Amino acid sequence: MLPNIDIRLANCIKALEEIVIPSLGEGERMAREQALLVIGHVRMIGAQWKHAARFEAKSFEAMAALAGEIAANEPDFRGELSDALAATETVDRGDIDAVEAAICRVGQAIDKAILGDEGTMALSAASVAAILDYGQKQAVRERVWFKGSGLDPDAAILPDFKPGL
Amino acid sequence: MIQGMTAGARWDRDNMEPRVREILDRTVVDRARGPYRAKTADQVAAILEGYFAKAEGLSGITISDVRRMAGGASKEQFAFVLRHVGDSEGTRLILRMDPLECISQSCRGREAQLHMAMKGVVPVAGIRGYDADGDILGQPGMIMDFVDGVTQPTDVKTVGVTGIGSRFDDWVPKLAPQFVDSYIKVHGFDFSKANLSYFEVPRAGTTDAAIWQVNWWSRLGWNALVEPVPIITLTERWLRENAPVCDKPVIVHGDLRIGNFMFEEPSGKFTAVLDWELGHIGDFHEDIAWVIQTLFGVRREDGVFLVCGLMPREEFLDAYQEQSGNRIDPVKLRYYEVLNAYKCAVMDLSQAIRAAKESTNHQDLVLSMLASAGAVFLDRIVQLLREA
Repeated sequence: MLPNIDIRLANCIKALEEIVIPSLGEGERMAREQALLVIGHVRMIGAQWKHAARFEAKSFEAMAALAGEIAANEPDFRGELSDALAATETVDRGDIDAVEAAICRVGQAIDKAILGDEGTMALSAASVAAILDYGQKQAVRERVWFKGSGLDPDAAILPDFKPGL
Repeated sequence: MIQGMTAGARWDRDNMEPRVREILDRTVVDRARGPYRAKTADQVAAILEGYFAKAEGLSGITISDVRRMAGGASKEQFAFVLRHVGDSEGTRLILRMDPLECISQSCRGREAQLHMAMKGVVPVAGIRGYDADGDILGQPGMIMDFVDGVTQPTDVKTVGVTGIGSRFDDWVPKLAPQFVDSYIKVHGFDFSKANLSYFEVPRAGTTDAAIWQVNWWSRLGWNALVEPVPIITLTERWLRENAPVCDKPVIVHGDLRIGNFMFEEPSGKFTAVLDWELGHIGDFHEDIAWVIQTLFGVRREDGVFLVCGLMPREEFLDAYQEQSGNRIDPVKLRYYEVLNAYKCAVMDLSQAIRAAKESTNHQDLVLSMLASAGAVFLDRIVQLLREA
């Protein structure tokens, strides 16, 4: 039996709330602000950590699907996008670092297609529509992921954390 | 709904103010000098003693009461008292200093010049001195007069990071008129005779004002990129292909919102407009589009969105037009809403994450918290582009 991650995170919050913050003098506003931010981060991490690998894997899959759509619509960039997809196809979905690297690899190929050699090549309406669709879905997922930050003015209308994954 | 993007002439990414380009290029070099550690009071005192001796030729210098100031998401700020042979009673001052990286990259020389230019136009802190390239301070910084006041009433119910998401309730009648008036005065200022040597003026009747901003923020974003975000890249292209003409360049504060107004309690009288670091000469729509962003406001119980927690959006826009005489062009306003959401997305999802990752700021934790709001801007961008 080990003290699991949830227990340890809860212990961190309690120590900050009950020991560290009360011991800060009145003049220590920045230290107090930082301590409160630590609590905020730790609370969010507590809600996120069990889902983090799945979240990143789903982000990768969404980006790979977008790359596939752009490849179908932009023949000039098909080769580069296909190469990126082939190179990342077998990435271990449980390895967050590997998945992040795969997102970067595919994302770079997508960016090149969007920029169209510094605006000298067109980008089709179909690709633009695909990017907007992807962008909206991914933005909502990320907003849900950080719903607990208190920085989203419309957090109340977002889906619940787990279904939003 | 936007359609496809057309092929055009190759973009000129260097088309921006030379000083801005210099700062952005310097950022890449400074990044390698990390990590950055928050300065101690003793270090700050030593830095300031050296500065006042060299920059002002003072003797018998004593720096005391060095106190780190809370708030803000960018610069290191300290209040202190300066005593020297000619001033035994002491003067309270503020040091505003650049860590290696911030959520945005800007120039203390430009900020100081804007402060000096706006003195008497809107309340601003006086500038005692500045060191644009850190030749004396060791890192870029400026020294300002201490101004009394608060940026959030001490009794408000809803308070957020750097003033974001605060709601003001009973304070609205005191703050809202001055809030609107600040935009009128900043945009109405005749800058032609001001010393703004660190600035360039975009040509009226051209797209310079917009394109300079796109080049500024896209360079910041690409230089700091951690992970590609396709919607940010698409937005950059849309901004380049839809840049509007600026009819009459004005002073743009760049971050004129609650949180950057200091006021007295209980009167609510403004004592200083803060944080001119993003200031430039450009299109007034940029400031208006900035402040109406959802991140800077809150929703009332009935669902009505309050700009900066103070007033409904349409009420703010009507008051601005009526008092300034500037007509808000909805197409330009939409463009600058996209540009501003893009700027925020770049700050949050590139620069803030990169600085937090490299540990080049004094409060990395604030940057990673602010970065978590990045998707709010992405969602807004999609909505705006679909409506464009």
